[in-house]
Amino acid sequence: MARRAQRGFDDAKVPLLGVMGAFVFAAQMINFPVGIGTTGHLVGGALLAYTLGPSAAVVTMSAILAIQALVFQDGGILALGPNTINMAVLGVLAAYLPYHLWGSGRSRRLAIFAGGTLSVLVSAALALAELLISGVRISNPVLGVSLALFAASAVLEGAITVAVIEALEKIQPGFVRKPREGRSFALGAAGLAALLLATVGVLFASTSPDGIQRLGEQTGIASHARALLATPLAGYQAAFVHAGWPGKALAGVAGLTLIFGACLLIGRAIARRRSA
Amino acid sequence: MHHLVLERWSRGATFLHRRDPRAKIVALLVFLASLATAQRALSELAAALFLLLLGALLWARIPVWAALARAAIVLPFTLVFAVGCWISGDPARGAALAVKSYLSALAVIAMAATTPLPALLRGLELMRAPLFLLNVAQFLYRYLFVISEEAQHMGKAAASRGASVGGLGTGGRRFRAAAGALAVLFARSYGRAQEIHRAMLARGFTGRLQTLTPLRFRAADAAFLAAASLAPALVRIAIERIA
Repeated sequence: MARRAQRGFDDAKVPLLGVMGAFVFAAQMINFPVGIGTTGHLVGGALLAYTLGPSAAVVTMSAILAIQALVFQDGGILALGPNTINMAVLGVLAAYLPYHLWGSGRSRRLAIFAGGTLSVLVSAALALAELLISGVRISNPVLGVSLALFAASAVLEGAITVAVIEALEKIQPGFVRKPREGRSFALGAAGLAALLLATVGVLFASTSPDGIQRLGEQTGIASHARALLATPLAGYQAAFVHAGWPGKALAGVAGLTLIFGACLLIGRAIARRRSA
Repeated sequence: MHHLVLERWSRGATFLHRRDPRAKIVALLVFLASLATAQRALSELAAALFLLLLGALLWARIPVWAALARAAIVLPFTLVFAVGCWISGDPARGAALAVKSYLSALAVIAMAATTPLPALLRGLELMRAPLFLLNVAQFLYRYLFVISEEAQHMGKAAASRGASVGGLGTGGRRFRAAAGALAVLFARSYGRAQEIHRAMLARGFTGRLQTLTPLRFRAADAAFLAAASLAPALVRIAIERIA
């Protein structure tokens, strides 16, 4: 992702993205009043996506997370990988899609609000799901409370993003990017739907890991499902649950390699078709 | 500002400070891998790895108590989930979560407190991490303090004009005032970034950041790499054999 961004940018972007990353850090010191005595602050993914563009925002957010983990011990180094995926990549993507779809229409404000809200909501839901998948058991009341808290902070992020974007446009309209004309509506909508579905699905699947199996048995597609699950390493837990950690780690790495290989092949195929 | 402490520690000149950042990065990765994947005999392993880190901190003459306190910054977030685990009747997993996150933070401190950040990023660059991301991170770190001070100045300026939290009224107006302040900070940061880039171009920037002293991987670095990456792995194997 960063390499692709590197190819697409000129050198002028390096100081710009760095300083804007520093801005997001500093922005977290400005408190927004929320209700009675409590305050919140900006997370920044959505704001960066609307001003610098989505790929630049992904790089900047990744750099922010890396500096946070390395220098400030905030977020932790072990969680850096998942955090980058949750917040920098998928969070920014979730923020940009509504803007991409409705950013130039009449419901522009709503799109910005939805983007800010989604960026935090998607990140938080994915983080929760990853914790659940890794075996941390969270009782339903605790889960409910944390989801409610995340939803509240997500709405706050949406509101802050709208307020800041509107203030920015008063200062200088050129700061905020207009979504490109002639954009493919269907692709964006499909992307947004897929992202939401995946997030909700992952969260749901991790809270009730046997739900899919039960569904399979009820609808009588158990045999099909099992065949699907038995594809190499797809359900590594099943085969490797009794193996030691090297086995599990190996399975994980092998799975990643397979996914990487598949992505590479698909990418090549698409590129060839485009150039042909 | 409190983060400057880490910067000051990293300017030391002990054996650990002088090692090549690449060796330290690999050693840290091995340490993290042997910690993160551990499941059996976790309390013994954690104690042994803790002693290992303590030894490294003492060797590098880093104030141990201050380092231990810094590593505790990760705890509030993990403790929430650890307590959640505890309540849900799985105290062992909750404890493992807290211990692992604390030890990994301490390991990162041990590395960051013996390596200045520019050297660390240069090491990552030589290890083929994406250059663009590293350069952005470098600028981010460089201007972090500048922009933070800008924000503080803005706060002071507002206060000296008689602005107070209560004086702005309630609810929506205060919210909009904060948003306006953020927008101004955004515009100033953006303008500053453009000035910085022009100044860099004027000084012959070619898209690569130069370091004054080239890194060289010496025999001592190889010895350190071997010892520092074998230690956590061997400790873990030994403890899992005994347990």
